[in-house]
Amino acid sequence: MTRNWKIFLAALLACVVIGLVSLKGLHRRMARLAKADVTEEEARHEVLAPPVSTPTDVSAKASIFWAGGPDSLAPVQIELPLSADAQERSRQLLQALIADPPTPDQRTLPADTEVLGFYILPDGTAIADFSDALSNETPSGILSERMAVNSIARTLESNVPGLRRLKILVHGQEVDTLAGNVDLTGFFDLNQAVPQPMSPALSVAPTSLPSATAPKAPTANTPPAKH
Amino acid sequence: MRNTFGVVALALGIFVYVPLGSAQAPGQQEQQSNPQQPLAPPASTPPVQAPPSTPPLPGPAQQTPPTATPTPAPVPAGPIIVLNPAHGGTDSGARGQNGAAEKDLVLRMARGVKAELERQGFRVIMTRNDDSNPSYDDRAAMANAYRDVIFISLHIASTGTVGSVRSYYEQMSLPYAPPADSAATPGKPALPAASGLNSWNEAQRPYMNASHRLADLIQIELAQKFNGSADTSLGAAIRGLRSVAGPAVAIELSSVSGPNPDTLANAAAAPLADAIAEAVNAFRAVTPGGARQ
Repeated sequence: MTRNWKIFLAALLACVVIGLVSLKGLHRRMARLAKADVTEEEARHEVLAPPVSTPTDVSAKASIFWAGGPDSLAPVQIELPLSADAQERSRQLLQALIADPPTPDQRTLPADTEVLGFYILPDGTAIADFSDALSNETPSGILSERMAVNSIARTLESNVPGLRRLKILVHGQEVDTLAGNVDLTGFFDLNQAVPQPMSPALSVAPTSLPSATAPKAPTANTPPAKH
Repeated sequence: MRNTFGVVALALGIFVYVPLGSAQAPGQQEQQSNPQQPLAPPASTPPVQAPPSTPPLPGPAQQTPPTATPTPAPVPAGPIIVLNPAHGGTDSGARGQNGAAEKDLVLRMARGVKAELERQGFRVIMTRNDDSNPSYDDRAAMANAYRDVIFISLHIASTGTVGSVRSYYEQMSLPYAPPADSAATPGKPALPAASGLNSWNEAQRPYMNASHRLADLIQIELAQKFNGSADTSLGAAIRGLRSVAGPAVAIELSSVSGPNPDTLANAAAAPLADAIAEAVNAFRAVTPGGARQ
């Protein structure tokens, strides 16, 4: 083997070693970038919708209704700083619902959704105003839209006593439907025992949740009745 | 000379043949020349006497006189089923990753369901049969034009277990009564006086129980025909159902996100029609003649 060949092989070996070392770094970097997709979304949400904090905040357990399956909701108990003021408390709950699902599969509202406003009228009517992302990014379909609305209604109902009905606005406006199917022109009942029409076809209740953890929502999978 | 004779014979043959040929079908020639003139029956066939009140009709209709009154097609009894393929036009509905649009899939599915239901003897109309997008109110108005109607809205979801189907009924809240101590409405009556009329936006309200019953019956059938489907229907505030004055159910197939939504939708039509047919028959048995609460 000539000297030139030895030099060539040594250089080749060095290249392979350098390649292997950089490959590991590249792999780590790709993993970091893949993770950054999620964190970017979260970061954007944090910038656009900073956490609401009030002087009366106390850490308390809240039941947030995320997806519990392909077509059902399940309450998850989380610790949250919650305001004593019902309006601020509602905003905090909705922001947690949007920002902190335990897994991506449990998400019910688009990650980019912002709570633009939340108001409570003296008669117990709650008005929740969301950004356009709510209607633009919720997947079209009765199933997905129903879950989105129910997760909002059930979360508020379980954690904010005194609310009687909910109106959902998008960017300050009343819209016809959430994403083509579920009607947003009316109100959704909260904290009201809505009698379910009895069906002679079935003796069981039409909707029920495995609600062992559901604190005060015996009809957790039942959609809020809409006016 | 022989050639000349042949030409003359040929000419004579043509001359004789043409009048004979035309004489065999005089009516036909007359019809072509003057279609407005009544035709005389052929001399060889005995004339069929028309009813005295019926004047002879001009044109080709009388060329083959009716020998017997045609029997009208039997009109199937039972309700009109209004099939509503959701979305349409610029409203694509759910969209799959491969570009499949809910509006197209439900239209194809609805056509299949209609054909199968008609084969089983149901009267079926569709709210759209092309890529148009009638308004929610227009679709409801089509159903409300009939006295005995069942409204079935067909959808395909973006999510859910692929191949499963769920039926939904309209769920409205109770009429709102502000709390007695509410400062917002001091001294006002809790509810407006009953007028006996239903607003267009709440036309479905008197039929909510019936719709729930029908949705449950359909879901029972769907659970047997589509793997992964639940046993019970669900209530939801569905914009397309609220103005329908009759039993109304939305049926949603999951989903456009599946690997082959076209095949899924096409294959779903026949079992879907069977489920609807069986459920409607069962529904009519327990709710004969009316569905208002």
